[in-house]
Amino acid sequence: MRKVLAVMALALLAIGSGCASMSTGGKQKVVYHINYNDEAQLKAALGNVQNHIAAVGKDNVDVKVVMHGNGVDLLKTANTDLDMQQKVVNLKNEGVDFEVCNNTLVKKKINYKNDLFDVSEKDIVPSGVAEIARLQQQGYVYIKP
Amino acid sequence: MSQNNRFSDEFLNAFVDDQLDGEEKDRAYLEIGQDETLNRQVCELRKLRDLTQHAYRDLPAPPSATTAAGKRRAGSRFGIAACLVLAFGTVLGLQIDAPRLTATAPAGDADPATAAGTTAVAPVVTARPATTASPTRAAPRTVAATSVPTVGATAASDIRNKVIVHIADDKPAQLEQALGDIESLLRYYRDSHETARVQVVLNGRGIGLVRADTSAFAARIARLQKEYDNLTFAACQNTLERLHAEQGVAIRLLPGVIVIDSGVAEIMRRQSQGWTYLQV
Repeated sequence: MRKVLAVMALALLAIGSGCASMSTGGKQKVVYHINYNDEAQLKAALGNVQNHIAAVGKDNVDVKVVMHGNGVDLLKTANTDLDMQQKVVNLKNEGVDFEVCNNTLVKKKINYKNDLFDVSEKDIVPSGVAEIARLQQQGYVYIKP
Repeated sequence: MSQNNRFSDEFLNAFVDDQLDGEEKDRAYLEIGQDETLNRQVCELRKLRDLTQHAYRDLPAPPSATTAAGKRRAGSRFGIAACLVLAFGTVLGLQIDAPRLTATAPAGDADPATAAGTTAVAPVVTARPATTASPTRAAPRTVAATSVPTVGATAASDIRNKVIVHIADDKPAQLEQALGDIESLLRYYRDSHETARVQVVLNGRGIGLVRADTSAFAARIARLQKEYDNLTFAACQNTLERLHAEQGVAIRLLPGVIVIDSGVAEIMRRQSQGWTYLQV
């Protein structure tokens, strides 16, 4: 009997330590990849992010949305489309970072201050694709909605 | 077989290990791209090399969670027992069969040590890929234990950025953007002096990008291959076979495009080896 109890205690300990290492500081780290500009698809993607945060709680998840290529149009649309804008604002209020690829800005001659919604210098990354690779190296999980 | 006359095993191994000079490599790329059997042979060698390196890199890790746990427990108990017997024997000067002790003690020692080091991370990090990849990985792991692939192993671990780019669509605009992404990624790593390897995995409709008969991007792909020797295009054998069956003709690929057994399996294998993944 004592042996059984000892084994159970050990098992509980193992499960406990397993859970602790799984959550790494209690926060999920997720990178959402956006490189398309279909409006319905973009709104659905932001809906996914919103639902993700609602499901785990905003304090339990660190979300980065990386946009490059056509994906940058998300923030272009948010300048004029109030629904899109509201979605972005809501997500930013919940701690989501929106990162924009500088290669795309240069290639498409986009002036982020005028053409994109609420982007500052800290939101610009040199290469969107390399940023996604870098984030994964840091333990972020990749999701392409 | 004809390819054996053209390329020796040593040559192919050198090709896979990236030890050929530019001209030889150009020739190899060209010929391998045009010869399906050769291509598959290189694919196998490359896979073996990667698996060997992988096995070699984390040699201490148990091959799979369930079997390793059992072995580990048995191993540690055996190790403790062996140590006790050894100590007992030394102190009391008992006449114990020396060769058997020396043979078992290191094995017993190695197991618990690695178990202690890996238990904390193993369940989370390796659980997902281990289940899918373990059948194929089992064989090369034993190879790694007996042979010593030092040159290749150090080269691979030196590479800082290893990225799988997955293309499964063939809309021209999307392919255009995908090639742009691949090029800007390679240029980014080159400009920032970071070592990198980029493998583009093509399956499903994505195969269209590298089909010799239909690709609208042949010249651009050739230029990229020439400009970046750390870039590989890999086509899924399953898709090629399906297309072959559907269309009745063997699919010819652009020069330098290698064939992998399964696009999806390759993606999972690479991720389990620490590669990052993105779909464009």
